[in-house]
Amino acid sequence: MIRYLTRRLVQMVLLFLVFLTVTWFLLYILPGDSVALKYAGNPNIPPEAREVALERLGLDKPVLIQFRDYMFNFFQGDLGVSFNQYPRPVVDIIGERLPRTLVLFLTALVTYYWAGFVAGKFLAWRRGNRGEMAVTIGGVGLYSMFLPFFAFMLIWFFSVQLGWLPISKFLDPEQWRDAPFAANEVFMRLFWVTLLTAIAMFMASLAAHRTRGRMLERILRWGGGALVIAAFLFYWFGTEAGQGMRIYAGDIAFHMILPVLTLTLINFAGVMLLTRSSMLETLREDFILTARAKGLPEGMIRDRHAARTALLPVATSLVLAVATVIDGGVITEAVFSWPGMGEILISSVLSEDIPLAVGAFAFIGVLALIGHFVVDVLYGLLDPRIRVTEHG
Amino acid sequence: MVEMTNLPEDPRPEDSPVSAAIGGGGESWWKIRLALMRRSFRDNWKIFRRNKVGVFGLVIIAFWGIMAVMPTVFFATGFWTPAVYDPVTGLELDPPTRTMTMVERITDPNTEIDRRAVLLDGRIPDTLQIGDTFELPLQPAPPDGRHWLGTDPLGRDILSQLMHGARASFFLGIVAAVVTVVIGTTIGSVAAYFGGMVDSFLMRLADLLIMIPGVALLIVIGAVFTYQLWHLAVVIGVLSGFGGTAIVLKSQALAVKVKPFIDAARVAGGSARHIIFYHLIPNVMPLSVLYMMFTVTGAIQSEAVLSFLGIFNTDTSWGLMMNLARTQGYLLQVADFWWLTVPAGLAVTLLSGAFFLVGRGMDEIVNPRLRRR
Amino acid sequence: MTADRLPVEVSGGRAPLLEVSGLVLRYDTEVGEVSAVENVSFSLGRAEAMGLVGESGCGKTSVALSLLRLAPDNARYRSGSILWEGVDLLGLSDQQMRLYRWAEISMVFQGAMNAWNPVYRVGEQIREAMYQHFDPPLSKPETNQRLDDLFRLVGLDPAVQNRYPHELSGGMRQRAVIAMALSCEPKLIIADEPTTALDVIVQAQILEELKEIQEDLGLSILYISHDMAVIAQVTDTIGVMYAGKLVEFGPTREVFRRPRHPYSFLLLSSIPSVTGPRRRPVSLEGTPPNLLAPPAGCRFHPRCPWATEQCRNDEPPMMQIGPSQWAACWNAEQVPEMGDQLP
Repeated sequence: MIRYLTRRLVQMVLLFLVFLTVTWFLLYILPGDSVALKYAGNPNIPPEAREVALERLGLDKPVLIQFRDYMFNFFQGDLGVSFNQYPRPVVDIIGERLPRTLVLFLTALVTYYWAGFVAGKFLAWRRGNRGEMAVTIGGVGLYSMFLPFFAFMLIWFFSVQLGWLPISKFLDPEQWRDAPFAANEVFMRLFWVTLLTAIAMFMASLAAHRTRGRMLERILRWGGGALVIAAFLFYWFGTEAGQGMRIYAGDIAFHMILPVLTLTLINFAGVMLLTRSSMLETLREDFILTARAKGLPEGMIRDRHAARTALLPVATSLVLAVATVIDGGVITEAVFSWPGMGEILISSVLSEDIPLAVGAFAFIGVLALIGHFVVDVLYGLLDPRIRVTEHG
Repeated sequence: MVEMTNLPEDPRPEDSPVSAAIGGGGESWWKIRLALMRRSFRDNWKIFRRNKVGVFGLVIIAFWGIMAVMPTVFFATGFWTPAVYDPVTGLELDPPTRTMTMVERITDPNTEIDRRAVLLDGRIPDTLQIGDTFELPLQPAPPDGRHWLGTDPLGRDILSQLMHGARASFFLGIVAAVVTVVIGTTIGSVAAYFGGMVDSFLMRLADLLIMIPGVALLIVIGAVFTYQLWHLAVVIGVLSGFGGTAIVLKSQALAVKVKPFIDAARVAGGSARHIIFYHLIPNVMPLSVLYMMFTVTGAIQSEAVLSFLGIFNTDTSWGLMMNLARTQGYLLQVADFWWLTVPAGLAVTLLSGAFFLVGRGMDEIVNPRLRRR
Repeated sequence: MTADRLPVEVSGGRAPLLEVSGLVLRYDTEVGEVSAVENVSFSLGRAEAMGLVGESGCGKTSVALSLLRLAPDNARYRSGSILWEGVDLLGLSDQQMRLYRWAEISMVFQGAMNAWNPVYRVGEQIREAMYQHFDPPLSKPETNQRLDDLFRLVGLDPAVQNRYPHELSGGMRQRAVIAMALSCEPKLIIADEPTTALDVIVQAQILEELKEIQEDLGLSILYISHDMAVIAQVTDTIGVMYAGKLVEFGPTREVFRRPRHPYSFLLLSSIPSVTGPRRRPVSLEGTPPNLLAPPAGCRFHPRCPWATEQCRNDEPPMMQIGPSQWAACWNAEQVPEMGDQLP
């Protein structure tokens, strides 16, 4: 397992280098020096200023030197300076935006994989071809729903018609006027607290899955879950640190609902369809018959045998889905003006802020790579066959 | 593992090692291949037809196919005049109007310009007095007898744009799919046939490509290139062809590679090129057609997103229609101006979904284990 | 197993362990009703080994699965009963049936490779069955002890229980399957093609061991196989099935010496005999009938060399031929002894 992971890790790093190189060349070299054009070709910039700008940006050096400098700097955490938010370093902007994207992305990912898996599991379990067509067409309809269209329909419905949720953005400026905290500070607190809560929840359900006593399982699953939620609420309502930030954190969370809902609904159907067909396939396996013959209760056959094994192809699909999900995230951020990586990517591209665009894209690449690595690890944990073959 | 079906394992009697080695057979070779293809097509169609989901998708595609052809018919028969109905330059000169009464005249204190007049694009005569009624031209106009789906904020016919958008989507989807299939089958077969370094290199490349978020990449490319529809189609095709499709088709080609007729061809001295192009590729084709469908879905969606974000410039496309609605501020007024967003948004969903449904239907043919027992 | 968990209706104490009578099972399909099991009756006593033979698709697996009520969803029981110690299994609720599975009747599945869930350790998969069926539940050390004993019994190192199925060889997996089948002290084990996928040497070993275990533990075993050689080796009685019907039933020795149904005869003649009189193996002409529309009269008549007008029109019932031998054939007397020449 360890050897397998190390090998994957090395591969990932190499892939990332290739990715970075290609990106850099694509953006700096191919367009006939469009960066230089932006400055050199602009008549409003006085020649001296242009010289200074080109020199500062390092654009007067030969291409390969520029490339070498870029790579060097990249790994020292220096991604250059944004053109449009000059002189703010790209790293700084990304450092602020990356967690926001991560939160949106992870929340949606966990929600929709979980929901899709559970829905697919039950759909397959009910079996029969009754409603198969409706489920497939509905699922595919949702899956191939044009994301911006869908997002705007949701905004229109929930925010414009019903007025329940904010239309877009990250927070409500009115409410933050006299805020004693910086938005990022609050956000990071929210991020960590929620992450810890999620991990605790996961541990509780894992422990529940491992136990064999049905009573004990129930206590762990529901009691453990309730305890974690109670702790979460206690932090925000009971402790001083939490109380002060509560309204602000609440505002950010409030703004997250709609983007997460959009991403979840769009992606949920794909997971559901896949789980369903994978589960139907698994239900035909001999070991399901064995489980039945053993006189196991139906719920146990469904969850411990069928669903657990049907999870494998679904987890594999996650490998292929990482890129798609990131794409969905980028589009969602653009639609909701959610200040994350995707939103910077698009705004920097539209305003030709090349260093920021490359930086954002590189980090989206990093995100995809890490996502892949995590999925690989996860898959190794889920499938004992991988675990052992790689022992060698 | 995916299994081959329906294409007979040993494709033709003439394909004995000897004739393969001589490369002979010529005409009859093709005739037999063609007859076989026709037969397998017929058999597969029988299976496909039973799959309601796939047929449903096909019906939707056919609907959009007709939509894509209609403008030509309408213009040719004179039912539509280009001056009014052209999707880009058309303009409804005589839009429906609403009768309004002027109740007050507001003048901007700073600029002394009549603000109401500015808002209405100078279409109110200066001479208008309070209490007078006037006809306000409605643009975008709701559906009526002349414009079945209304007009956009620039006075152009929505239906015409929708039909031309279908054309663009088909063009894009088909080019992207063909590029994907050509690259995917070639790469997959070559990797499977040669193995070793070639395989490793191609598969690592594929690993890299499946990791790249395609839309994000296209957005970045959009920063530096102004590209056209077919550029986009090729880029999408290349990404998918070298990436995911190549991986799937390689495993399929590996399954074909171990079949006896490949050995026979090799023993008879068939060259690598011959074996790859005459034996491997035709046998991985069915699966690649399946992936073609999924590529079309992705391509249509990507184009719509890029146009919608205003990163990709094209004349007419569904994404662009929504982009216009967005930039003109009609996007959130769905109830009042539904014709600006709903037809285009649904069109993207329906057509891309239809290709996906057809793909799922074909899955049953290509993956026999999914077939209903 | 404690008595209070099972609705007991002991009929005179001498009831056979299992009594199948007049079982009719049909599968609902898109193209019509497939008559998979037609009026099958037999009984099986305690500590008895019985075999069901026939070509694939003759309904023997359907019969086996019916005993556990595990036939696919589209199976319809049209009539008949399956009495287990006097209780009709077909009349039980799903929940009651669940208590019989494995605790009373367990099964060694065809193709043991796939009988294991790939994601759980072998021992774990046996343990979960034991956890369901012992009342009062076994304690953890008891479970472990029993598991070790089971593995030793089937000739495996107890350490094997901590491995995953894919880490075991075919023979080991099959042995572990047998250990699993024994885990809840069943009275009957159904062995559906228990050795088909194994090589001949392992096959012989496993059959030998199964036979020993059966005799030692006083189990009943129902062997399902298309392989006459396997059946001959391990069973006391044999039932021959053809196209969903039981065509012959009797002591294995008798049936092998003097089959009374033409199908049994041809099936036996098709395997070359090493020890018996020299004869040419005969092959069975034709194919089994389409069960969507089985032929009228005797289902075997289209392939039968002795078929008469009566065979084409009237369906032969099971007729007692010898002291304990039954056959469903109008011309049972004409079927020659093994080794005789064909007419």
